[in-house]
Amino acid sequence: MKRQIPLALCFLFGVVMIFTQFSPHPVSKSIYERVISGALIIGPFALVLATITLIQTHINRIQRRTEHWGYSFVVFAGLITMVAIGVPFGPENPVFVWLYTNVQVPMDATMFSLLAFFIASAAYRAFRARSTEATLLLVTALIVMLGNVPVGDLIWNTILSWTGFENQASAARGWILDNPNLSARRGIILGVSLGVISQSIRIILGIERSYLGGGD
Amino acid sequence: MTHYKICLWIAVCTTLFLWTSLGYTQGPTAPSNVVAKDTPNDDGTSITITWDVPADGSGIVGYNILSSIDEADFTQIGEQLSLEDVIDTKTNICNYQDTTVSRLNAFTYIIQAVTESGDTIQSQQTESVRPKAQIFHTGKIPLFLAMLLFSAAIVGNIYYVRSGREVFVRRIPGLEAVDEAIGRATEMGRSILYVLGLGGVSNVATIASMTILGQVARRTADYETPLRVPCNDPIVLNVVREMVKTSYLDEGRPDAYSEDNIFFLTESQFAYAAGVDGMMLREKPAAIFLQGTFYAESLILAETGNSIGAIQIAGTDSEAQLPFFIAACDYTLIGEELYAASAYLSKEPMLLGSLRGQDWGKLFIFGLIIVGVILELSGINWITTLLQNVR
Repeated sequence: MKRQIPLALCFLFGVVMIFTQFSPHPVSKSIYERVISGALIIGPFALVLATITLIQTHINRIQRRTEHWGYSFVVFAGLITMVAIGVPFGPENPVFVWLYTNVQVPMDATMFSLLAFFIASAAYRAFRARSTEATLLLVTALIVMLGNVPVGDLIWNTILSWTGFENQASAARGWILDNPNLSARRGIILGVSLGVISQSIRIILGIERSYLGGGD
Repeated sequence: MTHYKICLWIAVCTTLFLWTSLGYTQGPTAPSNVVAKDTPNDDGTSITITWDVPADGSGIVGYNILSSIDEADFTQIGEQLSLEDVIDTKTNICNYQDTTVSRLNAFTYIIQAVTESGDTIQSQQTESVRPKAQIFHTGKIPLFLAMLLFSAAIVGNIYYVRSGREVFVRRIPGLEAVDEAIGRATEMGRSILYVLGLGGVSNVATIASMTILGQVARRTADYETPLRVPCNDPIVLNVVREMVKTSYLDEGRPDAYSEDNIFFLTESQFAYAAGVDGMMLREKPAAIFLQGTFYAESLILAETGNSIGAIQIAGTDSEAQLPFFIAACDYTLIGEELYAASAYLSKEPMLLGSLRGQDWGKLFIFGLIIVGVILELSGINWITTLLQNVR
């Protein structure tokens, strides 16, 4: 029973939700909206549990004096400060907004900006011309990178002006992105879409039930 | 006789001249063929009114739409409409969709043509129409049939495999390496880090990732290797805890399960990336699984994992992040391989059957593309027209 009821509910809601995609009737729309909003109700309860696990994790870190355990105090300081201001005064409170825009946003931006350096190191490894495929990748990447910046066309028009064609760096980039690249991407997207449908059918029919806990 | 003929010719020419002149200087005519119909394939909240395009030189510059609810007085709907607003260049017909209607009333319409001088000429009133909500969207019939066909292929293949027939599954190096990664972590005495990405529990890629996690957890339970799972979504956290716990129970190792190893980090994208990066640098896991939906943080995680020398197995359906994983990870499950993982790892016949059905779907689409290209090159474009009309 512990398994059968969730599986039956999953089948019922799965079939109904599929049907809502093919029916413009207001009843169908209403069912869809109610189910979606019903699912949102679970979120806040789960968030409470999640916050408790976060607190437990950091208490354990402090108790066990694991490496860099001192940073757990920073987590508690941040959590307590934001809850102390956000809960009684609301998220529109100027202090709450100030903390968000001047602490969290710059920290997020810092992490995001690290991506530029990670891209450089990953590109260095990926583009080392050690095989024919890697060389092809390197040449293609160079063309796309040159085509993406105005200096690419400038170089083409200065050095290769004798060819009689202009702005071919950006044209070559466009061709690469619109033809071989887009074809490969669409192939992947088609495979993913079929995979998603297949996985959904397995879940709706109760064949895939590992999300209920365990594989049996 | 000659005078008589000349006079006759003059009379005929004058008549023709006056007739044609009158035709050219004729004022605007009332909108013709005005028809009001319930808009098909909608939720019963609109009525479509169509009428003929005005003749060139008619002097009509716009239209007013007048409606009457349940045979009451006619009132104008909204502002005056220009010709560009109403003329459908594809069908060369004027149309207007009244979205102010209700299913409880019947509506009658009059189209009022407006001339340059501001004069108006009204059409005859249409028949009374009551909007209806459709139960099935007929424009989606091809999509519905495709879904039924694909579902039938999957279910049919599940039964085919259940009957005991063998199914060939091509080797997926990323999944073959799962045991190697777990074994390496066990030998080195280090933990395994499993990252589920940023998807919520309603995301199919996250569910696929959780099924892989279930299989990984069975193996880590056997080897007693610590499995660390930092979660980004509170609901995913609770589901994952149950899943991993059951995997340990199924393997007869409930004592090896530690709830502290599956924990919530944060819902914020880059704070999550920072937290996971910190774990990688502090704990130096021997194997890292990056499975699920990833966005800009994918390379930040994969490069950090690479820098600590961990064996990394990635898998995502976010095609924009695949190049990053391929560049930074040892193995990458590309797109659909992520969804095939649970069948591949568990070798369960029912799941393998669905893989075969999935391949049939791919074969069908592949065939459709080839036939479509050949027909298109031959100047026959009904497949493209059909696909364009699917909404």
